[in-house]
Amino acid sequence: MATQRLGMIVDTKRCVGCSTCAMMCKSENNEPEGIWWNRVLTIGGEHLTTPSGTYPNLTMENLTVSCQHCNNPACVKVCPVGATYKDEETGVVRQDYDKCIGCRMCMSACPYTGVRSFNWEEPKYPIGIDTGDADVPKHQKHVVEKCTMCWHRLAKGLQPACIEVCPGRARHFGDFNDPDSEVSRLIREREHMQLLPEMGTNPSVYYLV
Amino acid sequence: MSETTQAAQAAKAPAAKFGGKGLNVGIVVAAIVTIAGLVLWGVQLSGGFVQTGMRNLDSWGLYITMFMFLVGLSAGGLIISSVPRAFGMKGFGGISKIAVWTSICCTVLAIGFVVVDLGQPLRLWELFAYSNLGSPLMWDIIVLAVYLILSIVYLWATLRFEGGKGSEKALRVISVIALVTAVLVHSVTAWIFGLQQAHELWHTALLAPWFVSSALVCGVALVLVVIIALRRAGYMELAQENVVKMVKMLGAFVCIDLYFFACDLLTSAFPGGSGTGVVNMLVAGPLAPFFWVEVIGCAITAVIAFVPKLRTNPLIVVGSLLAIVGIFCKRVQLLVGGFQIPNIDYAGVMTPYTVTDATGSLTNAYRGMVYWPQPIEFSIVLGVFGLGALLLLLGFKYLSLRPTEKSH
Repeated sequence: MATQRLGMIVDTKRCVGCSTCAMMCKSENNEPEGIWWNRVLTIGGEHLTTPSGTYPNLTMENLTVSCQHCNNPACVKVCPVGATYKDEETGVVRQDYDKCIGCRMCMSACPYTGVRSFNWEEPKYPIGIDTGDADVPKHQKHVVEKCTMCWHRLAKGLQPACIEVCPGRARHFGDFNDPDSEVSRLIREREHMQLLPEMGTNPSVYYLV
Repeated sequence: MSETTQAAQAAKAPAAKFGGKGLNVGIVVAAIVTIAGLVLWGVQLSGGFVQTGMRNLDSWGLYITMFMFLVGLSAGGLIISSVPRAFGMKGFGGISKIAVWTSICCTVLAIGFVVVDLGQPLRLWELFAYSNLGSPLMWDIIVLAVYLILSIVYLWATLRFEGGKGSEKALRVISVIALVTAVLVHSVTAWIFGLQQAHELWHTALLAPWFVSSALVCGVALVLVVIIALRRAGYMELAQENVVKMVKMLGAFVCIDLYFFACDLLTSAFPGGSGTGVVNMLVAGPLAPFFWVEVIGCAITAVIAFVPKLRTNPLIVVGSLLAIVGIFCKRVQLLVGGFQIPNIDYAGVMTPYTVTDATGSLTNAYRGMVYWPQPIEFSIVLGVFGLGALLLLLGFKYLSLRPTEKSH
């Protein structure tokens, strides 16, 4: 079987910046307080969901950014113990909490500012109990974590949680190595971009523009 | 005065003057500071790194700055003692053992700073079990360990040789290997930063040679301060000509370092693209104080080194300290500067884990320095330095580091 290159597409023309995907990610993966693996960023003003420019010439766009699951990941190369690694079968960039020594070399090497989070203290949860899927690995203090592409859901043949909940149907998931997949078709037919292509990391997250 | 007579005198007279009560008090104080540092390290690990100033967007801080700085400081000692030995040249009046000992202490401190920066120090063993040999951090761990062991072997071989055992040839071979490792250590430390395309300030081929030149500057300056202090304390005697020789070397190294800086700034700024932002940040932005202290301090050092009239002992110490402070400022510029310009700076959710100062907007956080250390970091740094002082003083007390007839 040919190896996969699983990835995501975000249609920026459909995204309204509602943060449903970010919220779903947070609850599905039981992300501790202050940790956001998937974030909606506002291309515009100084604060979240504020436009740039002066009235009436205002512009505002949204960009949801999480781990880009790069084909040529900078983080994987620098991890001294192989705690972050690329899964050969699926192309997903994974993070092993039990192995991570907390040196934060990957956070520094990743060009996509802010997609990796460190648990700077014992993980805390807003309602005091764990939420989300029971198969999500337990969060640990002093290790790095990030989007797993919902590895626990992929194992059950499901899509990542952020894909299904998008009210604007702006998110798509699939295998870029399969020419018949929806994602392959979309980047064939639509104008698209990858974030920071000059970094040479070749992300498996594409944005339709 | 010949080197031999000098050394013979050195062995007799000052020995009685140095040491005694003062040294013992120093050792006890250093030990107390070390223990306090260890306790605070425990506090940092139990209460969490949230007590430090480091956050997701500025994920390294004072510890890694000190790591870079100490790796650099360790260079001078080893190079000053091994270069004359390796090339069969006249040395610097027998200070080679003292120089290597300061170098060993600095290397231990550098390793200490990496350890206190780790979130999971109990998993250190994994470095050897699951080594990813492609990681520059792994290269550094290997080279640093080799460097430390070699420095110790070199000191041991020197002591043995001076005690009448072992051949000079063997010592010379060790000194050559140690010299090559010293250059490698600085290059590999630079590559931890320089091979990351994610930070424009770091991603330059110049970084490795530049780390070597910076290491030579602060390393030689440290040796100068230590030997002038030891001479003053009556630990040993040393002809002024040796000090002058080293000061001239310091002047040359400072000029090379400033030259590299100028090359880097010009290459960044000239195309007028994103590199201009990097130069502005250093020259006129949040890191400007560190930039100007480095540039002006190093320039003053060069003047002191090259104007014969200014080469008096107090001014040499001032110049050396300025060079050390200057290189420290350079380390701060490199570390904080790397995080100061984010690749993606769009507004998003801000949490207490995002940046050191997460109270305002992201733009606000980048207006000043994006990272500033917290009290616990300063205290732990002090504790690690306590360990260094402890080692240094124990060496002066128990190892025969004074110049002898055979010393280089």
